[in-house]
Amino acid sequence: MLRIVSSTLLLSFCINSFLFAQEVNVYTSRHYDSDYDLYEEFTKNTNIKVNILAGKGGALLERLKAEGKNSPADIFFTVDAGNLWMVQKEGLFQTIESPTVLRVVPSNLRGPNDEWTAIAKRARVIFYNPSSVSKSEIANISYESLSHERWRGRVLIRSSSNMYNQSLVASLIAKNGEQATEAWAEGFVRNFARKPQGNDRAQIIAVANGEADVAVANSYYIGVMLSGSAGEEQRLAAKKVRMIFPNQQGKGTHVNISGAGILKHAPNPYNANLFLEFLLSDKVQEYMVNKSFEYPIVDVAVSKEMAGFGVDFKEDATSVKVFGDLNPDAIRLMDRVGWK
Amino acid sequence: MGAHPRIYWKILPFVVAGFFIVPIVVVLSSISGPYSDNWQHLVDYVLLDYTFTSLCLVMGVAFLALLIGISTAWVVTNYSFIGKSTFEWALILPLAIPPYILAYTFTGLFDSYGDANNLIRQIFDLGETFTFFPNVRNLPGAIIVFGFTLYPYVYLVTRNSFLNQSRSLREAGRLLGLSQFQVFYKIALPLARPAFIGGLMLVIMETLSDFGAVDHFAVQTFTTGIFRTWYGLYDLDTAMQLSSLLLFVIAVFYFIELRMRKDVKHTTNNSTFTMLAEVDTKGLKALVPFVVCFSPIFIGFVLPITQLIVWAIEANMELLNARFLKTSLNTIILGVSSGLICACLALVLNFSVRLNTGDLLGKIKSLLSIGYALPGLILAVGIMKLFVYLDSQFYSVFEIALTGSLVGLLLAYIIKAYALANSAIESGYTRISTSIDNSAQLLGSSGWRLLRKIHFPLMKASFLTAVLLVISEVVKELPATLVLRPFNFETLAVTTYMYAAEERMYQAAGTSIAIVLIGLIPLIFLTKMIRSSRPD
Repeated sequence: MLRIVSSTLLLSFCINSFLFAQEVNVYTSRHYDSDYDLYEEFTKNTNIKVNILAGKGGALLERLKAEGKNSPADIFFTVDAGNLWMVQKEGLFQTIESPTVLRVVPSNLRGPNDEWTAIAKRARVIFYNPSSVSKSEIANISYESLSHERWRGRVLIRSSSNMYNQSLVASLIAKNGEQATEAWAEGFVRNFARKPQGNDRAQIIAVANGEADVAVANSYYIGVMLSGSAGEEQRLAAKKVRMIFPNQQGKGTHVNISGAGILKHAPNPYNANLFLEFLLSDKVQEYMVNKSFEYPIVDVAVSKEMAGFGVDFKEDATSVKVFGDLNPDAIRLMDRVGWK
Repeated sequence: MGAHPRIYWKILPFVVAGFFIVPIVVVLSSISGPYSDNWQHLVDYVLLDYTFTSLCLVMGVAFLALLIGISTAWVVTNYSFIGKSTFEWALILPLAIPPYILAYTFTGLFDSYGDANNLIRQIFDLGETFTFFPNVRNLPGAIIVFGFTLYPYVYLVTRNSFLNQSRSLREAGRLLGLSQFQVFYKIALPLARPAFIGGLMLVIMETLSDFGAVDHFAVQTFTTGIFRTWYGLYDLDTAMQLSSLLLFVIAVFYFIELRMRKDVKHTTNNSTFTMLAEVDTKGLKALVPFVVCFSPIFIGFVLPITQLIVWAIEANMELLNARFLKTSLNTIILGVSSGLICACLALVLNFSVRLNTGDLLGKIKSLLSIGYALPGLILAVGIMKLFVYLDSQFYSVFEIALTGSLVGLLLAYIIKAYALANSAIESGYTRISTSIDNSAQLLGSSGWRLLRKIHFPLMKASFLTAVLLVISEVVKELPATLVLRPFNFETLAVTTYMYAAEERMYQAAGTSIAIVLIGLIPLIFLTKMIRSSRPD
């Protein structure tokens, strides 16, 4: 019986590897169903099979480091610049040479030596409930002002284990210094309406239900909820909240990227280049904008769900490289102030 | 016996033990240092919190599991009431629900916008912001989740112990004027102590090694701390040192369980086994045993299943697509292969111990069962480190990389589930008399031939049980799968986790139901055993 099982296993591997002569191996922390349709489209266009290993960014990074030069991965595709930067620091990326990529992506959205490129953008914004937050309170809001006593017991944000929060705090450390950020975080944590729990979407829903007045969360969640793909309840909840871009009077809203790079030991670098060019083509960018509700890198229109909140906002220009560099500092800082 | 025990039957257990132990040794070797600066930070700010939370969690779960497990076991063995014969086996059904799936359904039900709160608001026409059920994403919520999914471990052994207790002791108690409750409290309970403490240790070990449920509830335990240190502080060494610390704690519980299992043998006395007189209950009083048995089944099984089915229906069955089928197939292939490997290993090892009745071999064999107590996450770290080392040494020779292959995942499953296969095979062997071996050997069948031609045909049922038990464990496993799975290889548990982490519960419903259904298969066998465990 053992023999049967092992030969079936072996056979299924062989079939997989012979069916497509060409392949590209992608480590990704994006697990949106819409992405899978994209990969199929890529295979249809190029006859190159896309092999996916999905996981949390940190886990994939550790796996890459462990595999070293034997790694089968061609592309590292993640939803947080911190992880991109960590891979870059380990020297595991090669320089992107595709003229197409270098032409369409502005240099501030690429690695310092073109180690990686942004594929899409997301902003970490503030959602509020208009029935309990006045216009004057919310106008000119900044992340920094959320530590003010006026917000005591009114603020929601997810756990400090989350990458998006770690990047946000890292960017604040870079901007305001560690001491100031720690003082800010103490006040901010004191203002929490409840112990951090659930993901960004859960915070938005809680604001809609009046459990708290404001929530810090990523922009695209509201798009997903408004589109109705997550159910009617979430669509109705989303209609009750408003979204605002913080720090418009200061240095701008914290922006993070979904980004990808080609790995140094990639077995299929040529296919990897094709894959990146594909992700940055107008057609795919438009598709992503309308499916995952992120902001595009190339000049295509944002989705109608997101357009309602305005598209021209000031982005914080803090280099995404600091997110990775200061990530451990950010975690330790959040531990110190008791941000669970 | 054992006229010509060939040498390789002797060596085999040691070789297998080596495979099982190396990943653990890899993790433990981190203790030798170096210790990074992060330790100072952990000690100053979070270690106490992780320890305290884990401790509260374990104590709460222990109390709840004992309360439910013992009370249900007492009621079904001593009272006759409506539905009793059904309750007797249905009480183990919550075992089919992994704690993380109960956690997902609980948040879906009891969050402020959850279905249960919506229902209450609709029925009583209350305001949109009114919440009736308290928040479950916290320590008490986690205690309830673990208590209601793990209590069957206590129930199973305690019920067995109550059934096997000498009747005359209890009758003597009654004659000396003890009430029914005093008989329970002064005689039956102390006699059952080794049994339920053994079951309780399993509950504690499962609680300590869980990742999915505590992660979803954002309860900061040791396991989530290990994840955070590894992925957030980018510090694998410190994460491994934290793991070692957790391993020592688990080892303590493991040895208590081992000790108690020995004591169980001393306290059960099958020779005086007679049917205990059951107390008849009538009227309102009959409700008490009914409620005692019904509520754990309702909370631990009926409620989550109903919620999952409702979600699946609301998702319009979009779940049954090619990806879902492929994921199920992956999971089943993994489950069946590890089930077969574990069962074969257990068969061969038990066989070799039977041939070579040495104390050391027996010890090695029981040592292999320790894998069950290992948190999947720690196992995965050990295996990954080991494979990376092997690859760096041998990749140039064989040109095959172990890292990121199915081998790692299978090894993790085998180590984790071997104990289950072993217990099934072991109990199968106790039913084969050694005189059969002796006759076979006289007739010229020994070694491999004896195993293949005589033992295996006699053990088919046990073999199947072993395979099924392993499958149910593999299908549920989450943390090791998250770390070790290869390309394009999603399993049911991983897909469920991914969707749930994104709060897309509708999409998580299909895979959750599949996990529960597969987990139910071995339970059907268990319930058969329960039903036949009483004399007519």
